[in-house]
Amino acid sequence: MSSTFDHYLATIMEEGAREARQAGSATIEAEHLLLAVAAEGEATTRQVLVSAGLDHQAIREALDREFEHSLNAAGVSLGAFDLPRPSRAAKLPSQLGASARLVLERMVGTFRKKDLRPAHLLLGILQAEVGTVPRALTLAGVDRHALAAQARRTITGQDD
Amino acid sequence: MSGVENSASREPADALAAVAALRRLADQLEDAAVEQAMREGWNWPQVAEALGVTRQAVHKKHAKRLIEAGVELRRR
Repeated sequence: MSSTFDHYLATIMEEGAREARQAGSATIEAEHLLLAVAAEGEATTRQVLVSAGLDHQAIREALDREFEHSLNAAGVSLGAFDLPRPSRAAKLPSQLGASARLVLERMVGTFRKKDLRPAHLLLGILQAEVGTVPRALTLAGVDRHALAAQARRTITGQDD
Repeated sequence: MSGVENSASREPADALAAVAALRRLADQLEDAAVEQAMREGWNWPQVAEALGVTRQAVHKKHAKRLIEAGVELRRR
């Protein structure tokens, strides 16, 4: 039965929507799902993330650094703008962005629905070769492939 | 993707990431700047013209959020 996973996924989507709103994003993206997975703290995913020194705070810092770093590549400094923080919408974003869709596609494209566990979602996030999440992890000195391998081992361990 | 490690192929990755980051920064700036303008008494047509978009577009994107934030909105 996948009802436990469905419940987990719904929780992550809701938390991901909160992360997206806080970031001022109109859509839920892969990085918001990663933050949500870390905040949720489910045992198997936490174990994988902690093995690379990642928790919610560390991931947020890595994402902030990626943002600044990528802006710098275009000669833009985040500190150059001094506008007041905008008010946030009361309604949570409900639409998945392209990066989050790819996470889900990778997950359901590789594994049977009834086998899905939280670690599969994390693996789907870690498998992105390009984009904000892999860049943030690389900048934080995290070996993304090793981390994905660890998530895979967690999955295999559960299936045996 | 092979060869991601060499510097020649890292450049497009940096450039593409810069585009994504600039779009995100532009969205953040738009949220902040539109709110600041409306708080200071600008109306929708002025804000729309300053942004170079239609007033329908700017209204659709920002009105609900600003009403919720208690900003007094001027239609014209």
